[in-house]
Amino acid sequence: MNVIGKKVRKVDGQELITGRAKFAGDYRFPGMVYGSVKRAGVPAGRITKIDADAARQLPGVVDVLTAADIPGPNLIGVLPPFDQPLLASDEIRYDGESVVLVIAESAEIARRAAEKVSVTINPYDPILTVDDALAPDARKIHETGNVTFTKKLIKGDAAAAFEGADVIVEGVYETSNQDHAYLEPETVCAVPGRRITLYASCQSPFHIRGHVAANLNLPASSVKVVQASTGGSFGGKDDVATEIGALACIAALRLNRPVMIAHERAESMIGSNLRHAARIRCKTGATKDGKIVARDVNVLLDGGAYASESPFVTMKTLIHAAGPYTIENLFVESTTVYTNKTYCGAFRGFGVPQVTFASESQIDELADKLGMDRLEIRRLNGLKAGDANATGQVYQQSVGLQETITKIAESVETSAPTTEDDRYLYGTGYACVAQGISNGAEGVDVTGASVQMSQDGSVLVGIGLTELGQGSRTVWAQLASAILGVSLDRVSVRLVDTDGVHDSGPTVASRSTTVGGMAVLKAAEEVKKSLVTMAGLMMKTDAENIELRDGFAILKMDDNARIPIPDVATAAYWTGFPLMNLAFSKAPDADYDHDTHQGDVYIAYNYGTHRMDVRVDKLTGQVKVLNHLAAHDVGKVINPLGLEGQIEGASLIGFGFAHMEKIRYRDGIIQNANFADYALPSIKDRIPTATIPVEDHNPTGPFGAKGAGEPPVAAAGAVFANAVSDAVGVRFERLPITREDIVEAIERGNHD
Amino acid sequence: MNLHFICNGQAVQIDVEPNARAIDVLRDVLGLTGTKEGCGRGECGACTVLLDGKPVNSCMVLAGKLEGRTVLTIEGVAGADGSLHPIQEAFLDVGAVQCGFCTPGMVLSTKALLDENDSPTIDEIEDALSGNLCRCTGYGKIVDGVLEASERLAQGTQEHGAKP
Ligand code: FES
Ligand code: FES
Repeated sequence: MNVIGKKVRKVDGQELITGRAKFAGDYRFPGMVYGSVKRAGVPAGRITKIDADAARQLPGVVDVLTAADIPGPNLIGVLPPFDQPLLASDEIRYDGESVVLVIAESAEIARRAAEKVSVTINPYDPILTVDDALAPDARKIHETGNVTFTKKLIKGDAAAAFEGADVIVEGVYETSNQDHAYLEPETVCAVPGRRITLYASCQSPFHIRGHVAANLNLPASSVKVVQASTGGSFGGKDDVATEIGALACIAALRLNRPVMIAHERAESMIGSNLRHAARIRCKTGATKDGKIVARDVNVLLDGGAYASESPFVTMKTLIHAAGPYTIENLFVESTTVYTNKTYCGAFRGFGVPQVTFASESQIDELADKLGMDRLEIRRLNGLKAGDANATGQVYQQSVGLQETITKIAESVETSAPTTEDDRYLYGTGYACVAQGISNGAEGVDVTGASVQMSQDGSVLVGIGLTELGQGSRTVWAQLASAILGVSLDRVSVRLVDTDGVHDSGPTVASRSTTVGGMAVLKAAEEVKKSLVTMAGLMMKTDAENIELRDGFAILKMDDNARIPIPDVATAAYWTGFPLMNLAFSKAPDADYDHDTHQGDVYIAYNYGTHRMDVRVDKLTGQVKVLNHLAAHDVGKVINPLGLEGQIEGASLIGFGFAHMEKIRYRDGIIQNANFADYALPSIKDRIPTATIPVEDHNPTGPFGAKGAGEPPVAAAGAVFANAVSDAVGVRFERLPITREDIVEAIERGNHD
Repeated sequence: MNLHFICNGQAVQIDVEPNARAIDVLRDVLGLTGTKEGCGRGECGACTVLLDGKPVNSCMVLAGKLEGRTVLTIEGVAGADGSLHPIQEAFLDVGAVQCGFCTPGMVLSTKALLDENDSPTIDEIEDALSGNLCRCTGYGKIVDGVLEASERLAQGTQEHGAKP
């Protein structure tokens, strides 16, 4: 059976559903000790004294480490020059800054001991807003100043084009910090030996290996990173996994004992990166028939204390600020600044949810000003194959936006309520999104994958990209199964272990299915060559007359002439045909002008259109989502269950971003670092997302597929804002739009 | 203190610190690491186990409270022969598992619900699982999994003439 496009179970589901899967916190080694850090507790200042005597004296404490005990440069980050210390030595740049690491016989003792460490800090006035950070006389948070990264995208001449616009809309849109809130807090476990092994809940093991080794002052080859089962990541288990991974390894080598560091929930929220809060000034001009002629956008991202992935997020906002529309004249400037708050970095969507909210709000505003249908204006301006997008890149195929719009237009008869009632307001929103697939402007994109067949016909896939719950392992197994003609239950996918798989770059940018899948496909094709060649010899025919299907090598012209694949594999082995292959997939390098961001950036885009119908309770501001349709052009569906899972899960994250979730600060200290105060959507908040796949074949992906993990976040956030604005009759320009905001807007409306 | 209880059908006798948490006894003393800790404050449900058939957050239960009682963890849900429980089968078939960290707790809360109520409404499902957070799935497929499981259990009951 060909499993491509079939609903299949997750290949790693059995271990998870029985509780046998090993997450990092589930490892137990003899003599293991536990680490906990003392955090700064103030957002800005300079350390004047560290006194750990009380901690050392606590029975069960085995070691106390400060910055002076880090053998390497005590720095991590994504782009050089790295700017984030593992343990702060002098400067404190955010409240969650790690200062001292305590190691003890139990996690509980380590925690209590860490509390007893006294760190004296000479406090500075914290810089807590982007405006304060950019003020001319602002204190410099880093030596380089307070601008983390700034870039422009210039296409055509926006200023001149506004002259020719009949209508112009302008607004300032704001979004808040969102926490990843994966259910498993960050955890690592380091085991010393001739080489050190780090078991980690993480997203990009090779990236971690490099940083851990550097901070140990050892070559990368002395460190092996094994990805434990990972309880969600969404972009979040990179920097922080590096930080605690390096600390655990350093302590493990000092003590010659295994060391586990497991964050508590509060630490996971305070001490690891968040989604950037954004302020986006956006101006869009159109002719009276609705054609958008110009857009000018200024994006300001609050990046917190360290750079992390900020440079790449900044670029992503530039490239996506135009949305999935053909706009000939664009000027976008995007800047991330340092503030004395928790650092921000990668989070599913990667800047696109913020700019999509601004963009889609303006599309509605334009439609309203022009008296146009809101879906029609999107169709009119929406990208088609052959159009130049924001960076001037032209795709000749796999631009399925228009079809997603059509699907949404067709799928529901308008569900505007027929009965007026006093208690509720009803509204409908639309939003379109485009999101680039692959590293693109963020760097070279190479993936290595191995496929090997045993003589019993079973298949093992090895790839350096990670399973984080998104179902990638299942997709890769399906690809190998389809090419090699064996059933899915004969295919396994290795855990990622930096010794056992090829470096495949980071697991980011919705690239696992597309770029990772291509490498698996290529490797499987090579193994297939050995099998069909062998089967050809056995059946005395040419290899091209053989197909692999249903567990057999079958003669194409005679279905009855067949040999079981294990027999073919065994014969191939003894004949000396290789049954293992390591293949690479390399996306074409991004080729663009760094000053204007014009050029070819991504190997493909995922396009989507969402519709949401809401009912708003006028008294309480409660929003009930009556209907949520999510149409996405995914090129080709590999596993419908996995795809729906990605779209539903991402949509709820987008909904949380737009309606519920917000990290709240007071004086630079996070006030809601727990699930009682941080409003994470529960099952009662779920929305009835229905996935509508559109398949516009993508030549750069396996079987035409392209990734889908991120784009629904942006679309769901924007569509919620548009639906609620439609219901209430007021544009909301700040996310999240909470119940209180809604009640307030309604009351204000009543008084106007 | 000395503690006796039944865990996954087996009598257990262990010595624990009086102020130990049930989750630590299960994970660290008995090695049942299928029970997960997501918050340690009773706010996420990842640590859900059944105590005398009722779901509890094991991070909020002191070990002493287990004395003389019956505990079911995820490790005890599948059959001794390794055959999956219909809830587990249903969850896998509908795609209710992504990262799997919330899954043990979800399965146990579902079991407690279906043991009491073999054909729950959507509202009843939402009530029963409202203490179990999941960041990956968006919950839709978890609700599908519970509905699917209740149907399968009902069919099983008809076939075998008795409640499994
Ligand atoms: S760990 Fe017990 S409720 Fe979260
Ligand atoms: S599947 Fe990941 S938290 Fe539920």
